[in-house]
Amino acid sequence: MRRWALGALGAGVLAWPWVAPRYFVFLASLILVNAVVAIGLNLLSGYTNQLSFGHAGFLAIGAYAAALLTIHAPAIPVVVTLLLGGAITAVVGLAFGVPCLRLGGLYLSMATLAFGFVVAEVILNLDALTRGADGLRVPAGRIAGWALSTDTARYYLAAAVTAVLVAGAVNLTRTRVGRAFLAIRESEVAAQASGVSLAAYRTAAFGVSAFYTGVAGGLFAFVVGYLSPDAFDVFLSVDFVVMIILGGLGSVPGSIMGAAVVTVLHDWLAAFQNFRPLIFGAILIACMLFMPGGMARALRPLGRR
Amino acid sequence: MSTATLVHVVVSGLATGSIYALMALALVIIYNATRTLNFAQGDMLMVSTFAGWAAHRAWELPLIVTMLVAVAAAALLALVIERVIIRRSIAATHWDVLIITVGLSLMLRSAAGLVWTHEDQAFPSFFGDRPITLGPVKLAPVSLGIIGGSLALMLCLYGLFTHTRVGRAMRAVAQNQRGARLMGISVERVYSLSWVLAAAVGAIAGVLVAPVTFLSTKMGIVVINGFTAAVIGGFGSMPGAVAGGMLLGVIENLAPLYLPSGIRYSVPFLILVAILLVRPAGLFGRIEQRKV
Repeated sequence: MRRWALGALGAGVLAWPWVAPRYFVFLASLILVNAVVAIGLNLLSGYTNQLSFGHAGFLAIGAYAAALLTIHAPAIPVVVTLLLGGAITAVVGLAFGVPCLRLGGLYLSMATLAFGFVVAEVILNLDALTRGADGLRVPAGRIAGWALSTDTARYYLAAAVTAVLVAGAVNLTRTRVGRAFLAIRESEVAAQASGVSLAAYRTAAFGVSAFYTGVAGGLFAFVVGYLSPDAFDVFLSVDFVVMIILGGLGSVPGSIMGAAVVTVLHDWLAAFQNFRPLIFGAILIACMLFMPGGMARALRPLGRR
Repeated sequence: MSTATLVHVVVSGLATGSIYALMALALVIIYNATRTLNFAQGDMLMVSTFAGWAAHRAWELPLIVTMLVAVAAAALLALVIERVIIRRSIAATHWDVLIITVGLSLMLRSAAGLVWTHEDQAFPSFFGDRPITLGPVKLAPVSLGIIGGSLALMLCLYGLFTHTRVGRAMRAVAQNQRGARLMGISVERVYSLSWVLAAAVGAIAGVLVAPVTFLSTKMGIVVINGFTAAVIGGFGSMPGAVAGGMLLGVIENLAPLYLPSGIRYSVPFLILVAILLVRPAGLFGRIEQRKV
């Protein structure tokens, strides 16, 4: 049953560009990008209980890293660019995670919030490199001499990368690191008593989360094709938090659903102009009132049947 | 730089800081009672200030009455939000309630824009424009007014929390909910009261600051500064909230004097993170000892 559902989902994702209009292909790519960020954030928040309000900052680092690599070294294949972007972001995440180890709860959220602001300002000020507020146009990525210049090509790139990262996140719990994350999620004290080093795994969670978000940033750069610092403001970080709580903390399918719902809502509500935040806010409140714990928990009874 | 300039900058920093401190106090009052972070606090401030402004424009009320209208509007708004939405999610996790307040924040901002206007509006001030001269130092009356008004309000809050039955009940709930309930305190009433009190503090802060920053639907963003201030002071501590707010305001105003304009927005944050690294639970906070 489950295998059939996954197969159908995979076929749907593959067939999408052939059945949907061009704009919806772009929208689907955006959902994939946001899903990767949500999964990355959920690895951090859902497992090690560190809520970050600065993931727009990590996304920006990944996006600018990928864009600058493509501009200055066009020969590098797209996949390598994405990996490098992710790796750079992961290094920043680790460097940020270590001093934040002492901070818990709201204090950590505050530090991540600050991180987001600082990243935006650094981008604005390194204008020799990033063109500051003017924004940066991202050239099409190349893979084996073939430029990814259509929405469909970029969509398939995003879909392939997302599939790999989703598989990684789902199977993480089969590894030693993943089991340590689970133990920390269930009880930090019990995990420590069982010999799980809280400091090491909290830092690792920051690194992994930043890597996912950095790769998503690279995808974002290619999908959108234009970067400017004000696209990565604190409200984007809040949106990511909304995605994972709406979807369900600590759940990979929940992250994907949350990302899809928030992205589609933002797009769909654009038609309502001034009423948009009003409706979006009302939907958020209704969701949390009637589905406490997020969509993943609300849908769990269906999965058991 | 002359001492006079420095004094001027520090005083306007303290004025900004007073507003941050009041915002931080509002967040802490609700957090202590209900353990929720109210993301909509800034937008509640904005809506109640708008309500006062609308009443002022419609009936040409004196300013003090305008402020009372804003406070009343804030109290009513908080009561409705607490009773209709927050109370119903009493069993939900704190994260769920956080998202509810994010939703509220969006709704309030959008509704205020639809009902009133998205454009900046001038707001009448209690204080004149002519600077007060003390020797070589020139001070803006509005800065002194904000500081004085905020300090007076903080003293009232201090009196409320230490010398009244209600205040003691609120502190009891903050310390230990089950214990408070066993002592016959209605915890639910304290929840409502905390929302109303926090909103009223926000409304007064809004009326004080609106003449300087102008009245706009975007003024709710001050919640982030309030949050920062409260965290610096040690979340949950009221003296900490005041100290954190003042510190943040002064640093923010001093930073552009000494630093290139490019990094002036980052520096306060970097300093604050540095403070947290030295004192991970803020200036006045205590690290909770976990019991198993």
